[in-house]
Amino acid sequence: MKEYKLLITGTMGAGKTTAIGAISDIAPVVTDVANHDRSVDKERTTVGLDYGMLSLDNGDRIRLFGTPGQARFDFLWKILARKALGLVILTDNSRPDPLADLAVYLDGFADSLDTLPCVIGVGRLDTHPQPTLDQYADLLEARGQVFPIIPVDVRQRADVVLLIDSLLGQIEAGLALDLDLP
Amino acid sequence: MNDTLNLPAGLREAAQQAVSACVAEVDGITSAVVATVDGFDLASAFRITQDAARIAALGSSISAISNVVSQEAGLGNFRSVTINTDAGFAIVHAVPRSDVELVINVIAGGDAILAQAMHRINVMARLLASAGA
Repeated sequence: MKEYKLLITGTMGAGKTTAIGAISDIAPVVTDVANHDRSVDKERTTVGLDYGMLSLDNGDRIRLFGTPGQARFDFLWKILARKALGLVILTDNSRPDPLADLAVYLDGFADSLDTLPCVIGVGRLDTHPQPTLDQYADLLEARGQVFPIIPVDVRQRADVVLLIDSLLGQIEAGLALDLDLP
Repeated sequence: MNDTLNLPAGLREAAQQAVSACVAEVDGITSAVVATVDGFDLASAFRITQDAARIAALGSSISAISNVVSQEAGLGNFRSVTINTDAGFAIVHAVPRSDVELVINVIAGGDAILAQAMHRINVMARLLASAGA
């Protein structure tokens, strides 16, 4: 049996806690508290971490960790990224500047992303079509990065599983490449 | 400091008075920060330069994770956690309120007396639990 540690990060309100809750086999550990930031229309927000577990059909298990979204908790980003095998970055297309939001996490996890497989999940694309997936890809290309970019409704288990599958595919490919090394 | 917080009248002033007195009157305490439970500092006092916003965010995470530990262990609501170190200690203490939950964060050097600091923090917590309109 293999165990994977995957990390889910992204904008406040993008649905990190919801995504973990959508696929976890156990009751997720959540550290939500009342949100007092009136600039964000949200009752509760994660200030510690989220944790869930997903068992795959082959017996492998995925340990899912979620970060707080706000940059003032970036000390936890680094702690939670340790030993992670993959990173999901969730964006919320209904926010004023989702591409700038994405850049925050690409910068915040820059050290890890040199080697860590990553997938970008774009939320609320159906109601807020701008920026397009092509614009997301252009941003990544300008930064010299190539990651899958997938529309996602984090309330839908199938959508979240697709994100995880995409990461696992990259991880497996990376492991295969490692085995080919002399 | 975040000025967009929706706080009861007089709470910020009461918190500032409390942390200033705490740092001034308790030997060894170098920093005291009162923050919202989601990590916004609303009052702070220091003997040495510190980043109040950073302490507020750290205390918020510690408080939230400690609360989960308390709940999962069936120990009720989180009250406080003490971090003992080679050179002193840090205390994160919850202040339950129905309108805006607060967290008191205190950092002390090796010359501070833990029981004295704990007592002062408990007094502050009781005061802040009922401060404001």
